[in-house]
Amino acid sequence: MKAIILAAGEGKRLRPFTMSRPKGMILVGNIPILEHIVKALVDNGVNDIIMVVGYRKNTIMLHFQDGRKFGASIEYVFQEKPLGTAHALAMAEPRLDGEDFLIVAGDNVIDAKLISDLLDQKDGPTMVVAESEIPSKYGVVNTDGDRIVELVEKPEIQMGNIINTGIYYFPNRFANLFKSQIFSKELGITQLLSDQISDSLIDLKAVKSVGRWNDAVYPWDLLNVNAQALDLTSQIVKGTVESNSVLKGAVNIGAGTRIRSGCYIEGPVIIGEGCDIGPNVVILSSTSIGNGVQIGPFSYISHCLVMSNALIGSHSHVSRSVIGDGVRARAGLFAPSDDCTVRLDHEIFNLHDVGVHIGQDTTIGSRVVISPGAVVGADCRIRDGVRVSGSLENKSVVV
Amino acid sequence: MCGIVGYAGGRRAVDVLLDGLRRLEYRGYDSAGVAISYEGLKIFKDVGQLSKIQSNIPNWEGGMGIGHTRWATCGRPSKENSHPFTDCSGRIALVHNGIIENHLSLRKQLEEEGHKFTSETDTEVLVHLMERHYDGNTHAALVTALSEVKGTYAVAAMAEGDDHIVVARKENPLVIGVGVGENILASDVTAILNLTSRVIYLEEGDSAIVSANDITIFDAQGNRAKRDPTTITWSIEDAEKGGFEHYMLKEIYEQPTAIHNSLLGNLDEIYAGAIIPDIDVTSVKLVACGSSSHAAMVGKYIIESMAKLPTTVELASEYRYSPGTGENPFTILLTQSGETADTLAAAREARRRGCRTMSVTNMVGSTISRETDHVFYTNAGPETSVAATKSYITQLMAMYLLGLRLGTMRQALDRAEVRNISTELRSMPRYVNGVLDEASEIENAVEMLASANHAFYLGRNINYPTMLEGALKLKEVSYIHAEGYAAGELKHGPLALLDATTPVVAACVNDHTREKMLGNISEVAARDSPVLGIGLEDDRDLAAITDIKINIPTVSPILSPVPLTVVLQLIAYYVAKKRGCPIDRPRNLAKSVTVE
Repeated sequence: MKAIILAAGEGKRLRPFTMSRPKGMILVGNIPILEHIVKALVDNGVNDIIMVVGYRKNTIMLHFQDGRKFGASIEYVFQEKPLGTAHALAMAEPRLDGEDFLIVAGDNVIDAKLISDLLDQKDGPTMVVAESEIPSKYGVVNTDGDRIVELVEKPEIQMGNIINTGIYYFPNRFANLFKSQIFSKELGITQLLSDQISDSLIDLKAVKSVGRWNDAVYPWDLLNVNAQALDLTSQIVKGTVESNSVLKGAVNIGAGTRIRSGCYIEGPVIIGEGCDIGPNVVILSSTSIGNGVQIGPFSYISHCLVMSNALIGSHSHVSRSVIGDGVRARAGLFAPSDDCTVRLDHEIFNLHDVGVHIGQDTTIGSRVVISPGAVVGADCRIRDGVRVSGSLENKSVVV
Repeated sequence: MCGIVGYAGGRRAVDVLLDGLRRLEYRGYDSAGVAISYEGLKIFKDVGQLSKIQSNIPNWEGGMGIGHTRWATCGRPSKENSHPFTDCSGRIALVHNGIIENHLSLRKQLEEEGHKFTSETDTEVLVHLMERHYDGNTHAALVTALSEVKGTYAVAAMAEGDDHIVVARKENPLVIGVGVGENILASDVTAILNLTSRVIYLEEGDSAIVSANDITIFDAQGNRAKRDPTTITWSIEDAEKGGFEHYMLKEIYEQPTAIHNSLLGNLDEIYAGAIIPDIDVTSVKLVACGSSSHAAMVGKYIIESMAKLPTTVELASEYRYSPGTGENPFTILLTQSGETADTLAAAREARRRGCRTMSVTNMVGSTISRETDHVFYTNAGPETSVAATKSYITQLMAMYLLGLRLGTMRQALDRAEVRNISTELRSMPRYVNGVLDEASEIENAVEMLASANHAFYLGRNINYPTMLEGALKLKEVSYIHAEGYAAGELKHGPLALLDATTPVVAACVNDHTREKMLGNISEVAARDSPVLGIGLEDDRDLAAITDIKINIPTVSPILSPVPLTVVLQLIAYYVAKKRGCPIDRPRNLAKSVTVE
């Protein structure tokens, strides 16, 4: 059995966090989403992996190389243009060597249980389904027993909350199904299967797993996905913790990181390598901090995802927020969380207790206030003392 | 340079040797060959690619053999001149890396004694000397033969009927991989890692007897010696391409991680002496070859400005023959491989002069690390492309850390300055990623260079040596004649060479030379030369006087060589790609230059 991971797309709805990496390479629990997937497969003995890569493919190939480090053997197939997942599969098909195969979407966090449920319960072509609070963002299925009788991509009329996770098992003879799609226009697997189902050409089984399946569709979803992925069990300190700091619960601190005196850190919290935190910084639960991050004295960070090489100056308050790579905030960044309404791509979202989202390399002056729900693009410059709300394009300058 | 592999154990030696030689391919070669102990001693060698040898070699079983890739130095590339060589009787086979200086006189003697030579090489005298002394003890024959030659060597030999290979080294690298029921030896660890991660670095003058189950080592005096194995933490996979078109591109993309690793643990310990202990330094000399010498030149600006110490830079190949002035500067030697022949000789010369020495190298346990008082390991990981990229950028990191360390030691830097520089250094992986994110813009911008025969690279201040490095990169991989120049020197010659067919690459950052640099670029543009400017994003003045501008992130001027270097690497890579050059193995070049 082989697995095909579809990782060629960008994940546009997560912008600005997909500027320099595809969605699958965003770190949750300080591990890329794709690594969670590879691990789930390898834990089930599925080691032969074909990864379809395209958008910012170098980041994926650098991380996984030939897969040996992860107990897998990974081959890469390049899909240079976004021609849809059916085309991606068609390109991977010659590498199947006649074997049965799994298809896994490369942008959801899954665990080994989900794959083992699929492998245990599969019966001919099989799809893993899940319940969703926002089914309209996915392919929604209607089932008769465990057989799928209807599959509608992003339905406009409400039709239940059972959705397609984008994870399938197919016996090898179904590989031909995708082969014909090489030259077709952008086409998703869902569309292809939907047509096949309505024409009764395929008998697709639905498997509902108790395993983990987390998807981050929008930037604010990243925090929950991160929190779920932070299943730390013990305290591991490889760096240096100065005296009078308190680490409570599962706190992991990477090599070369210094936690200066007087910090209070309440797990689960993971802090990467080479960071400089404190003195007197408070970091509260469900926070992930990447490599080379610096957080100045007297700052408060709660339930955040802080990506690598970010700098948060002294006296800052940042809650339920996503801070991109290399963001540089001078002293006194105020980014609290609250219930709010966000307008994005002509859609309105009413969100509960959300902080701010700041794209990579944005620089922020002193005493800046950013309102809950704000989505600040990459490479923005925000001058001292201003107040920012709503969404900002990349490279915006706020004076 | 030449590569050596040897194997004794349970596997098919032909397969192990060819695999090992393939991993040494990056060192450059024009011919290759193996000797296998199988129904006597079998030799197969030829000019050309290893793949050709692999498809033509007979199906020899046999679990012991030696192999060689040759990079011609003495005698042209040909089948006759390729290794292994045998003695007249065909009972002893030998491979060699290095130079035998007195081979002409020895050859004359041996020919008079009746030995028949089949090649033009210096190496062949070794095997005939062994034949002269051979009485059934191959190790003794090798040691006696080597006592009669002048020169440098890593050598492996075996005789018909033996169950062991004999090896020796002097000023050329040789490592032994310690396996279970098998042992392997090679010119460097990349050829070994597939079989074992436990390696013994032979010391200067050592010789050894290597069989499947045993390794016996002798020092230069012939006494039994104990050499402890080192465990290599890289895996072989680290040195493979993993989906990338070229090693060079992969290694360029690995730089953010390499920078992170080289800083890790050091930045935090600037005051604690992680890099060097508190020592009394009044002046510094930096010594290196090739790209490393450019890192050294950048280092001069860094150390002078951070530590306020008088600093000089010398090429290793010049320094070692220079008279010396009686002063004893703190002498820092930079070499990626730790085996560069001239830099090793310079280290010995520095010690002879009584200088305190420090090496900056990427190879743990390499020769230079054992021959200097202090070592800084750059932690770049294995670098396979001949053109140095991540090893260079981590050498720069070493220079910044050393500048900070010397600056704090001498109290030339106050704590606030140290903090500001450290903060920016910590973010450096992100700045480099920012450049990599824009790689496609650089790919589009280099069209003007791809069709040129000549190019000039101009910079000032700390970016003058950075542009020297940029020009060297272009020369190495794209075969375009490129010259790096201090922009202020333009009027003293090169301006005469500029016209519409000679593109100029010019770097300009926000330091105190900015106005002068803009003036120089205007002078160039006035001679119709197409100008590719590299500068800060908001520098509209630069954009106005250049044909194409590539942006680098805004960092302090003293740190600007880091993002600038990455831009220059990508320029060289994409130009070479457009010109269809063999990027990872440029003609006539070798990765670690272990001959003088």
